[in-house]
Amino acid sequence: MRVLQFVQELWLLTARSLKVAVREPWAVLPNVVISLFFLFVYDAGLGAIGQLHAFAGVPYLAFILPVALVSGSVGGAGAAGQALVRDLESRYFTKLRLTPVSRTALVMAPMVSGMIQLVAQTILILLVALWLGLKLPGGPLAAVAVVLLAAGWGLGFAGYAVAIALRSQSGRTAQAATFVFFPLLFLSDTFVPLALIRAGWLRIAAEVNPTTYVFDAMRALLAHGFETGPLLRGLAAILALAFLTLGLAVHAAQRSLREA
Amino acid sequence: MAHLDTSEGFAVMAAGLRKRYASDPEALRGVDFAVRPGEIYGLLGPNGAGKSTALQILTTLLLPSAGSAQIFGEDVLAAQRAVRRIIGVVLQETGVDPLLTGWEALELQARLFGASRTAARRRVHELVELLSLQDFARRRIAGYSGGMRRRLDLALGLVHAPRVLFLDEPTTGLDPLSRRSLWDLVRRVRRESATTIFLTTQYLEEADSLCDRVAILQAGVLVAEDSPSGLKRRMRRDLIELEPQDPRLADRLLAIARQRQPEAMWDRQVVRLAVADGAAAAEDLLAAAREAGIRLSGLRVAPPSLDDVFLELTGAPGPDRLAGSGS
Ligand SMILES: Nc1ncnc2c1ncn2[C@@H]1O[C@H](COP(=O)(O)OP(=O)(O)OP(=O)(O)O)[C@@H](O)[C@H]1O
Ligand SMILES: [Mg+2]
Repeated sequence: MRVLQFVQELWLLTARSLKVAVREPWAVLPNVVISLFFLFVYDAGLGAIGQLHAFAGVPYLAFILPVALVSGSVGGAGAAGQALVRDLESRYFTKLRLTPVSRTALVMAPMVSGMIQLVAQTILILLVALWLGLKLPGGPLAAVAVVLLAAGWGLGFAGYAVAIALRSQSGRTAQAATFVFFPLLFLSDTFVPLALIRAGWLRIAAEVNPTTYVFDAMRALLAHGFETGPLLRGLAAILALAFLTLGLAVHAAQRSLREA
Repeated sequence: MAHLDTSEGFAVMAAGLRKRYASDPEALRGVDFAVRPGEIYGLLGPNGAGKSTALQILTTLLLPSAGSAQIFGEDVLAAQRAVRRIIGVVLQETGVDPLLTGWEALELQARLFGASRTAARRRVHELVELLSLQDFARRRIAGYSGGMRRRLDLALGLVHAPRVLFLDEPTTGLDPLSRRSLWDLVRRVRRESATTIFLTTQYLEEADSLCDRVAILQAGVLVAEDSPSGLKRRMRRDLIELEPQDPRLADRLLAIARQRQPEAMWDRQVVRLAVADGAAAAEDLLAAAREAGIRLSGLRVAPPSLDDVFLELTGAPGPDRLAGSGS
């Protein structure tokens, strides 16, 4: 009964978040465009280097696609934070706090809505990649796994974005905080495999950067199908991030919901 | 427990509420309320007195630093959900999502309070009618004027037919016509649903015309609590201002005024004095001025303003005496 009520509340709040997101597509569209841009431009410009030995036969399209997906999922997560900041700034959030709905549902709704947007966007990018000639030796299930990895990674970032939004209550701070996305996306084996990276510091950065393991898991899925090693490392990176940031979000929610 | 038995009978009950924000001086310094069911209760005070702070504590939005409060016996700290179910709140600054339509916001609000879809729609219909929102309910809130937003905000607060309605400065910033129509609405809500209403205001006039009982809050302390007529009786002061046509005659006019009220003073081109009975004193002063050959270019007799109430209640006489007589 309690659970049913929670699901109902979460659904009502999520549906409203989605409705509003659709009415303000400019918050999301640039993000999709940037992801597609990655895909087109890098594949067109760098596609030929996929023939190098270091790529071990992975077509460049399959190599660069995860970059587009991860950049898209981080953007989708940022949208969750932005949605919450909008509500905080318009004080609509206070109105929602005055209803008897669960506090957890209140904070989770923008995340769930962000995840739904993100999944839609990931599927769109995958379809474009297929149209560009992507082959899927792992079959459709591998594609589903890629979507789930992107969603998990996005959820980790959504937790981070929501925690910052609740703590700062300010749109600008929340926006500024999404810049961690740059080092995370680019200090990695973003464009070429680790073996081709010359600078020692960048190799080290890539090895400690959890994004690297998400990229590798997706690449393995796209190029070969299910491979235990990369998949487990990718999942571990995602779970670690999600635990950390969702913990932060819950903590921030408890603090600000009691005080503010 | 004994205190629960006593708080049950009251719509709003608070004891010893204190609030300190960060390191500032205390915003509330021990405030008590006992509001009876069905009452319209006004909390009157100037900017920064602590009205919103008190209201946010009573509505579960803010934790007090000390003290306790119950709404119909439900504790605002221990039973937040139960309290939220029976209160409706309209805050000082409206909080609505500009991208929703008024209708959507109302329907969502009703559903979040547990109404089924059909029940929610029926309720929204009623409220749209009650608050005359028909013309813009289907439009996005972003395009609403300030007055429309206030009305929608009030509707949002009424969606679940609360037993106690809290209104934080509901008419600040409204034009006189909208203000009056809001007063009528508040009265109508009370009449039709026996809702208890707890409102804050900066306007003596508003407290006077709307409230059964008024508490005056000054710098975090309640300095008086009474019916509006009781407060006015206690004030018993009208303000008279006389403006001589020829400013050089100010001294003589002031002398005449001082014969009647030694504290009369010359201030900003007028002679000003406070008296118990404005009408009679003005008549007398006019006659005396004419006799002395002083022509007047201005005369004003005014009931005490909120400023005067505060001066009287918190100024020179010392707050202790009046705080004592206030309860
Ligand atoms: N969030 C806050 N953080 C710090 N100080 C605050 C906060 N909110 C209010 N205060 C301070 O507490 C005091 C009381 O403020 P409050 O908003 O309760 O007054 P008010 O009577 O509602 O005033 P107004 O008529 O301007 O709305 C003020 O001195 C104010 O500066
Ligand atoms: Mg206020």
